[in-house]
Amino acid sequence: MSAPAARRGPMTRLLAGLGLSGRALVIAVPLAWLLLFFLVPFLVVAKISLAEPAIAQPPYTALWSWEGLRLTLRLGFENYAFLLQDALYLDAYLFSIATAFISAAAALVVGYPMAYFIARSDEPRRTLLLMLVILPFWTSFLLRVYAWQGFLRDTGVVNGLLLGLGVIDEPLRILQTNFAVYLGIVYTYLPFMILPLYATLVKLEQDLLEASADLGARPLATFLTVTLPLSMPGVIAGFLLVFIPAIGEFVIPELLGGPNTLMIGRVLWNEFFSSRDWPVASAVAIVMLVVVVVPIVFLRQAQARAEERVR
Amino acid sequence: MPDTQTAAARRPWLDPTAQPFVRILNVTKKFGDFTAVWNVSLDIWKGELFGLLGGSGSGKSTLLRMIAGFETPTAGRIEIDGQDMTAVPPYERPTNMMFQSYALFPHMTVERNVAYGLLREGKSRAEAMERVAEMLKLVQLTPFAGRRPHQLSGGQRQRVALARALIKRPKLLLLDEPLGALDKKLREETQFELVKIQETLGITFIVVTHDQEEAMTLSSRIGVMNEGEIVQVGEPNEVYEFPHSRFVADFVGSVNIFEGRVIEDEPDYIRLASAEAGCDIHVGHGVACALNQTLWYAVRPEKLRLSRTDPGGAFNRVPGVVDEIAYLGNLSIFRVRLDSGKMVRATRANVARVDEEATSWGDRVWVSWTDTAGVVLPR
Repeated sequence: MSAPAARRGPMTRLLAGLGLSGRALVIAVPLAWLLLFFLVPFLVVAKISLAEPAIAQPPYTALWSWEGLRLTLRLGFENYAFLLQDALYLDAYLFSIATAFISAAAALVVGYPMAYFIARSDEPRRTLLLMLVILPFWTSFLLRVYAWQGFLRDTGVVNGLLLGLGVIDEPLRILQTNFAVYLGIVYTYLPFMILPLYATLVKLEQDLLEASADLGARPLATFLTVTLPLSMPGVIAGFLLVFIPAIGEFVIPELLGGPNTLMIGRVLWNEFFSSRDWPVASAVAIVMLVVVVVPIVFLRQAQARAEERVR
Repeated sequence: MPDTQTAAARRPWLDPTAQPFVRILNVTKKFGDFTAVWNVSLDIWKGELFGLLGGSGSGKSTLLRMIAGFETPTAGRIEIDGQDMTAVPPYERPTNMMFQSYALFPHMTVERNVAYGLLREGKSRAEAMERVAEMLKLVQLTPFAGRRPHQLSGGQRQRVALARALIKRPKLLLLDEPLGALDKKLREETQFELVKIQETLGITFIVVTHDQEEAMTLSSRIGVMNEGEIVQVGEPNEVYEFPHSRFVADFVGSVNIFEGRVIEDEPDYIRLASAEAGCDIHVGHGVACALNQTLWYAVRPEKLRLSRTDPGGAFNRVPGVVDEIAYLGNLSIFRVRLDSGKMVRATRANVARVDEEATSWGDRVWVSWTDTAGVVLPR
């Protein structure tokens, strides 16, 4: 093109004059959103985590103060040190990660066959099944978790049924156990596992499965050597989508867990609202972010590799 | 390899004592209300390169998929090497298939793709890799062993698919439109390569194709399919020169068809009156027919003669006007509008560099043919 500048519209020229391209503008909107609603709050929390608790409004000390022309900066790392000293916090972090991991793995085991089945169904039924997967989102999350209480308690539906059938003599203790927490997390986050799995499995071509069978692979071998490797990007994406929110989960362990299911979300809640120790609570939150980010980075890398492989 | 070893030269289908290698017996396949394959019976002999030719929706792919085991016949049975295969799953059949899409595993290298079948068979890695190396040499892909399918050209992928299907030395290789995705030049090269490989390894091939030229070049015999049925089976020249029906005559190559009514029926000749042709058609051999019966006369373009002067005689000659000429180099195609209004196609080989009797657009010409040039078709 001989004179590209002359072909541009006035708006584009104006933006170009300001040093902005259309592409930058498209990215600018989500970037601004992230800045405003993620980075700014994050910095506020980080700031609080370096302060000391105070009986004031807000309940923490200021980080800096002016006395005449003297600026005094007071950064306290005691809160982080405190987290290390008290075994409660470390236990809570480890327990949260373990719970999230077990739940994500269980969701994978439950979700994979469902996603596979939906992806292999024919068109009208596939849409219906996907709708059914998403349907629970239309009722309140809190309500659904409360409903599980009704199911699982000693006098609940599950125990009532088992007692009625004579399988057990006295009610099983299900509610207020770790198992109930896993169950709640798997139930709540299952759609997040199924949808990315479905998205990769639906792209899996029937030809490849037939080629595998044709070359002598029994169905299980075909699954392990073709289906599973080709759906790895979906497996990792689904795992992340369940694992990450499950680490910080508060409502499910609160309502379904026992007194000893001490997940970090619950600790956070206690620090903020019971102890009103905002600085320690903020420190807990910042550390949790780090704890979540590390596995994400690893899994993202694994996902990139898996996607490269199946290209 | 001596010529007599090739499938086309052996012609076991002419030997009444020979046992067929693949037997398809009254096979029908229905998908709901739709009948994809209807009552097909077909025998294929060992070492043959059998072409299944048909348009889209003719049922040829469904038939192939039933032989591979991906579809179960609604009725009938399929035997391979004397064994009933009807209930045998694909992973236990002595067949391998080369898919139209190639269906290469995208997450595996060329080497792993080709080794796949051997490893599933329980062969050791070392043995598998040795055979893979041999096979890659055969299909000239050795330098690409470590590449992934998406890093290959269409022709290379096609050869990986072939290598992967051949590595287990199947008794029967099924090829679904093997050359469909290749460009013309590559197709022609690959056609001959396929025939060469087939003759070297002595494996029985069944090739599905919609391309009649491809079917003719590759096959020892062709089965023409239409609407789920096999309408004719024969050697390529048989199918071309002696079609059983207007469908086959028209599908395999191009043809001029005249409708006619039997006006003379003698043991050694018949004569048709044809308004469509605009003259009587004399057929130089006896045909089983009745007086006044409607028949069709099919004559290939290369068997029509064009001349500017009246060749004389009472039949097999009609005047017309040249409507269009396509010059293809080696031959020219003439479209001639007969005085009856019917458009016919005639080809002439350009044997001389300068045509003495040059015919051009708008010229009045005589179209004529001998009494053995065409075929009488009852349907």
